[in-house]
Amino acid sequence: MVLYAAGAQGAETPIPHGTLELIAENRWVTPGHGFSLGLHFQLERGWHIYWVNPGDSGEPPRVTWQLPPGLSPGVIEWPAPRRLGTSRIVDFGYKDAVTLIVPVHAETSLAAQPLARLGAEIRVLVCREMCIPGRTQLSLTLPIKSLPPVPDVRTRELFAAARKELPRAAPQNWKFSVDDARDYFVLAANLGAQITQVIFFPLAEVQIDNSAPQILQSLPSGFRLTLRKSDRLLKPIDRLKGVLVFSGNHAYLVDVPVSKRGTEKNNSSSGIHEIQSSKEGPQK
Amino acid sequence: MKRSILYSMLVAAVICAASLLLAAAKVGQAAPDFTATASNEKTFRLYDHRGKYVVLEWHNNGCPYVGKHYKSGNMQRLQKQWTGQGIVWFTIISSAPGKQGYVTASQENEYLVKMQAAPTAALLDPTGEIGHLYDAKTSPQMVVINPQSIVIYDGAIDDKPTTDLSDIAGATNYVNLALEQTMAGKQVEVPATRPYGCSVKYPDSTH
Repeated sequence: MVLYAAGAQGAETPIPHGTLELIAENRWVTPGHGFSLGLHFQLERGWHIYWVNPGDSGEPPRVTWQLPPGLSPGVIEWPAPRRLGTSRIVDFGYKDAVTLIVPVHAETSLAAQPLARLGAEIRVLVCREMCIPGRTQLSLTLPIKSLPPVPDVRTRELFAAARKELPRAAPQNWKFSVDDARDYFVLAANLGAQITQVIFFPLAEVQIDNSAPQILQSLPSGFRLTLRKSDRLLKPIDRLKGVLVFSGNHAYLVDVPVSKRGTEKNNSSSGIHEIQSSKEGPQK
Repeated sequence: MKRSILYSMLVAAVICAASLLLAAAKVGQAAPDFTATASNEKTFRLYDHRGKYVVLEWHNNGCPYVGKHYKSGNMQRLQKQWTGQGIVWFTIISSAPGKQGYVTASQENEYLVKMQAAPTAALLDPTGEIGHLYDAKTSPQMVVINPQSIVIYDGAIDDKPTTDLSDIAGATNYVNLALEQTMAGKQVEVPATRPYGCSVKYPDSTH
């Protein structure tokens, strides 16, 4: 009982204008079974942190793990971000609360022990109109047991909610293409359904102009999205990678080779929408 | 057919409007001219300095990324090094009144003395006009202009986009790289990067 009480939940640690907690998905670590840790951020109203590509300003959280030998951390699984900032300076990030999931590999040779300490040093920039850098040390103790993994009921909902926000792989039957058309990339999608709302979030910095309107042409079987290139993109790119967020916050990962055919002009189109950058950013 | 032509025209119109709005300084193109009042009350015009290299440094004294380069003395060192070689260095403050980093002329003069900063001048841009001309996104965004008034570098001060002072020692400074390479008659290897830092605190009404 004592071990359980001291188990999977860490403690809420203060960060600028919020708290951060290291959480574990399972009640113990099982040798040879991967599991997930989570960084659960809760932010005061109006404050935000950043996505892996922070956009025009800011910086994503960075983690330095301190794990026992035999445990190795994977890369952060980033939930779909939202557009933040102003009409001129557009950032990508999270408000209110977000959980960043990190898969951890556990070697089969891992020895059982009653309390293994899992630590992480986090550097995070928290911004509203102004930005405050924070640095904090998190830790969590978990037993390592040669028993099948068992989910921790206390963190189950947080992990389930976080997984719902993760962008999914685009279905195989969806077809994408990207044309390099001088100052623009034109991302065309054939999804077998008409799309009237979509935002593209670029995974790489300095590819598209974050604050430029994304011009959506709704098509009977998908859409075409015209993205202005970044003025700082001076060389051609091979692939355009990013996250597409449709209405209802359905998010998909896309990774599309860029071709230089130029844009076709004779597609029938059934609608045009201009996505405004969100104005819900920093309030004074 | 008629519909598709109409929509194509609409798309073209939106694209044109967007292009006009976003016309700003670009690497390889002429640096937009400007005239500004400095904290020392002198007036400076960019094109009066044709024939010299000019460095523009976007500044906000409350920004932790700017703080990294001033508390460490890195920015002051760069200012002294390059102005000592005849280069013009303008620190530009585009924060609007009431916003982080906004300063009056006398506040800025005190700051320059206190920090032992050594730009050619600190230009006050409370309307954000110069910031918009250069599409400045962050402080400390850096721009390097050559003697023919062509932008040869636009972006971050270095390759370590953090607020940690300890990151300065191992960083590649892009301003130094651009100036050293161009003065040696070489191509600037990294002419544009993402300008890391805090967003420029423009007036709310500006779109």
